[in-house]
Amino acid sequence: MTETASPTDEQTASTAAADETYDVPADATAYTCSYCGRPFAREPWLALHCGLAHPNELDDGEVEAFRAAHEEEAESLSTFRLQALGALVLIYFGLLMVYALV
Amino acid sequence: MTPGRRRTVALVVCGLGWLAATGTASAHGGSLAAGGRDSLTIPTWLFLSTGGAAVGASFLLASFVTDRAFIERIHDWGRPLSGDYERVLGLAGQFIGLAGLAAVFVVGFLGPTNARTNLAILLVWVGWWAGLAMTTYLVGNAWATLNPFKTIAGLLPTLDRAYPARAGSWPAVGGLLVLVWVEVVSPLADQPRLLASVVAGYSVVTLAGAFVFGPDDWFAHADPVERVFRYYGRFAPIGRGEGGLRLRLPGMDLSTPRLVDGPDEVAFVVALLWVTTYDGLVTTPAWRDLTTPVVEAGVPPHLLYPVALGVGFACFLGVYRLAVRLSRDVSDTYLAPAVLARRFAPPLVAIAVGYHFAHYLGYFLVLAPSLAVALTSPFASPATVPTVELPAWFGAVALTSVIVGHLVAIWIAHTAAYDLFPARLQAIRSQYPFIAVMVFYTMTSLWVVSQPEVALPHL
Repeated sequence: MTETASPTDEQTASTAAADETYDVPADATAYTCSYCGRPFAREPWLALHCGLAHPNELDDGEVEAFRAAHEEEAESLSTFRLQALGALVLIYFGLLMVYALV
Repeated sequence: MTPGRRRTVALVVCGLGWLAATGTASAHGGSLAAGGRDSLTIPTWLFLSTGGAAVGASFLLASFVTDRAFIERIHDWGRPLSGDYERVLGLAGQFIGLAGLAAVFVVGFLGPTNARTNLAILLVWVGWWAGLAMTTYLVGNAWATLNPFKTIAGLLPTLDRAYPARAGSWPAVGGLLVLVWVEVVSPLADQPRLLASVVAGYSVVTLAGAFVFGPDDWFAHADPVERVFRYYGRFAPIGRGEGGLRLRLPGMDLSTPRLVDGPDEVAFVVALLWVTTYDGLVTTPAWRDLTTPVVEAGVPPHLLYPVALGVGFACFLGVYRLAVRLSRDVSDTYLAPAVLARRFAPPLVAIAVGYHFAHYLGYFLVLAPSLAVALTSPFASPATVPTVELPAWFGAVALTSVIVGHLVAIWIAHTAAYDLFPARLQAIRSQYPFIAVMVFYTMTSLWVVSQPEVALPHL
């Protein structure tokens, strides 16, 4: 519910909404985006976020960090793709064999 | 039977079963069509795991699409459709809605008492709840214009009290549960007089609410029927955007941020899914066996049904909230649980749409000729009414629609996750608990479907 009656109410509501959007545990390290204030648990995620959400405002260092994080991500994605393919094959042949036996 | 053939049969049986027991009002609305649940040719556990595996495999397939630009292009594709004809269409729609409501009252109270020939029964169940609801998610939300209660409320004066913001959409959640409870425990699809009385009761509550809080606030927040159609309409290719009517790919409007806004609206989406299950659950032998000792111990059955409805809803909602917490842990994000709950609820609408279509397409096609006859002669009660025999392959259509509903749901969740999380693997991981929940919902529905249908016990 974000229905509001007056502009002042609306302002308070949106600040309250921003506070409610994030929930960082007290003892956790957070890498916070300097453009929009969104906290992240890992540094590469912050770099990716900056590149995706604020592409025109980055300095050279941030662009470099984004490229590095993006490459690292591509590697872990291809590992995941192999695992997913394996799981699909397992589901397919598993069911095929069960249906043959039952 | 060869294994291959057996498998095909099993799949078709899945479809037929789904056809028979899903969708709101299936037990009673469905009684007109004289449909029953088919018995299975494969063990129940295998039937359940096949359904669950189908959902899981769809997720794995969706996870192969990791190109952000491609996902956004699919999500954002659209064409504007607005024009000057809208006003004329709107007026015609309001008139048709009012005429329909008048027909339900007049024929419901004064027409033939036979459910198969009474226009009020056929108009509400076949024309409105099956036909109009189907056009809502296949074409666009016409109920927003047709809604006769909104038209009447717009003409009446209003006190225009401020709608209590804290109440949110909770009245709609309660209203949906009450409507389904009334529909399940009373013969609404058999007795025209009763149906007309219930519609009259609903009119009084709705118009009173609109009178106090103003039609805009009432229909935006508190009216359950308006909200069901609005969510179904979000699945449709034609929707209302910032600049008027707009053409989109089916289902893609569900991944728009802020569609579901707050825990109350999350609860409504979960309730929409739960009532489709509840409706079938109460006609299973397991339900009868489970409740017989309870009723014999002296618990009144009229208390049992609403309590079970409430407890089951709390259970579904609890499972969804648990998934939200797990998703937050798995994806290691600092987004608040409420944010995740809001973004991942809309895909459930697509699943509800798939079930609704699977159940009501056949129901609508079988009874549409009866509706046409009743429309031309509302007060005649012919001994035989025309119905359509559905071909044997029709079960495959139902199965396909359920699968498409799940595929769209998984795709919408995929899009939402990519929108929320900067890292793509994080986005995929965040989906694990939600996929588990979808598998749980699917297997619950399938289990209900695989049970033989018995008469509503204790009532």
